[in-house]
Amino acid sequence: MLQLQFWLATILQTCLRMLPFPARTGLVAIGEPGPESPVLLTCNFDLTVRRVKRALRGIDCWLLVANSRGVNVWCAATGGLLSNHAVISVLKTSGIADKVQHRRLILPQLAATGIEGKRIRQQTHWQVVWGPVEARDIPAFLAAGQHKTPAMRQVTFPWLRRLEMAIAWAFPISLVTALLAWLLWPQALWPLIGLVWATSILVFLAFPWYERFLNGKQKHTGFVFFDFGRFGVPLLLWVLVMVGLTGWLAWHGNLTAEPLLRGGLASLLVLVMVSIDLMGSTPLYKSGLHEDRLWEVRLDVDLCRGAAFCEDVCPRDCFVVDRERRLATRPRADACVQCGACIVQCPFDALSFVTPDGDTISPDVIRTYKLNLMGQRAQRAA
Amino acid sequence: MTYVLMKVLESAPQRYDKGIRLLTRGSVDKAYDFLADHIQAGQRVLDIGCGTGALTLRAAARGATVIGIDINPQMLSIAQQRLTAAGLNEQVELRELGVAELESEPAASFDVVMSGLCFSELSSDERRYALAEARRLLRPGGLLLLADETLPAHPGRRLLHALIRLPLVVITYLLTQTTTRPVAQLPQLVEHAGFTIRQRYRNSLHDFTALVAETG
Repeated sequence: MLQLQFWLATILQTCLRMLPFPARTGLVAIGEPGPESPVLLTCNFDLTVRRVKRALRGIDCWLLVANSRGVNVWCAATGGLLSNHAVISVLKTSGIADKVQHRRLILPQLAATGIEGKRIRQQTHWQVVWGPVEARDIPAFLAAGQHKTPAMRQVTFPWLRRLEMAIAWAFPISLVTALLAWLLWPQALWPLIGLVWATSILVFLAFPWYERFLNGKQKHTGFVFFDFGRFGVPLLLWVLVMVGLTGWLAWHGNLTAEPLLRGGLASLLVLVMVSIDLMGSTPLYKSGLHEDRLWEVRLDVDLCRGAAFCEDVCPRDCFVVDRERRLATRPRADACVQCGACIVQCPFDALSFVTPDGDTISPDVIRTYKLNLMGQRAQRAA
Repeated sequence: MTYVLMKVLESAPQRYDKGIRLLTRGSVDKAYDFLADHIQAGQRVLDIGCGTGALTLRAAARGATVIGIDINPQMLSIAQQRLTAAGLNEQVELRELGVAELESEPAASFDVVMSGLCFSELSSDERRYALAEARRLLRPGGLLLLADETLPAHPGRRLLHALIRLPLVVITYLLTQTTTRPVAQLPQLVEHAGFTIRQRYRNSLHDFTALVAETG
């Protein structure tokens, strides 16, 4: 029964992945936890809560579900929904302090873009430990004395996740397609929906084969097929397709409204599918629509004292801390997705963003307004 | 396509007030005016979840000194702009704090604690905590002023409420990505926390309620 519920929830929430699904917030006892059991925290995106609970089966521990408005950990933390306030609130109002004797709180690593470990400690006396990226790594993390391996720190985009994103895009677009087909071309309803799903699944499953053509550092990606960024290019392409179709129909002496309309619908669908925000649908690239992907993380070596918070929270493994010189280095800076976690967590403010115009965005601005800078993103910084 | 979606999402706080008006079908302004009538000049007022400042502005306009708290810096900056425009900056202090972060405020230090459309965004744990904090912070005889979306108690009204609300929820969500969860049994919660309800405002459908309650 529980299994069935889990899979039904997974299917529903994967189809409607773009929408928030709030779960009940507060304290959940997993197994038979006691005063020394570990305390973990997650967001209240329903699917995440279900997956975390599933990953924790057989372990006695306390799970705090914090209010992220039903949005997943990384998006909610980076956009300001899963904040210090949400964590402090669930720590204080859930009664967890009376249940355990220790004060160690395990947070999901991807929440490091929005939750400040230092502030949580100052305001609540709970010490923050950054857990693994994936819920399925939690048992191994706990078994190793709450220690993360480098692999546990990194985000990846395996085929199952790619399939999830393919479904998340195909489902809502096929709803719109169904409506359009019903109005314009009822006979082709199922073939058109099939076209949408096939395009979406192909786009995402083939990702590893064309990934090397993507360039996260350019304003417009080198590989023009995806990520057009604006309406202009897809519309222009569509006009070209339509001109070609018109010519072809005229050549065959069959230039009537009906095939034109239908050809237009089918080609528009394919264009919509391939111009979706592909890079923004992966955890490996910044959305092509946000100018903050052009920002760079700058390390001030004079301020750095090698505290290694950056190394602990970076989901792309950009940092290596030289323990002898007590200094952070960024040998894999190219992999950066500008999530800002390192900047938010650095206790010495040694890290900041620099825009292409050379403006600095200070750690305090990022901490207060999160990465989206009060929803204004790059415009405000400029 | 997603570009438009992102832009809509990012400008949501700016359109919060419009969304709430639509969702509450105008009840919110009437209820806030009713509550503000209980505030007197010179009183010290705490606004929990002040948002864009609808209640804070009303209290300050009546001559009270207000501390407004909210966890959303975007909302606070809109409130700040509105206060500046109204010339009420000096009476009001806005802080980015949640209701669980008020320990440093001394007990019995406020004449009025108020909260508009905030309880519907809190969990049941948080509501209980917020009411206990309000009781601690109010001086004896101090007033608790609450206004929120409520779930009608009567089954018929509840059905009508659901029917009217559903399309509004969809429209509001599409336009502003805002939605709320009406509070069930708000008066009972308030009384259970040790308050006595003095006055009550309800719209005809009983899905928007304002309460004036007193400590003790």
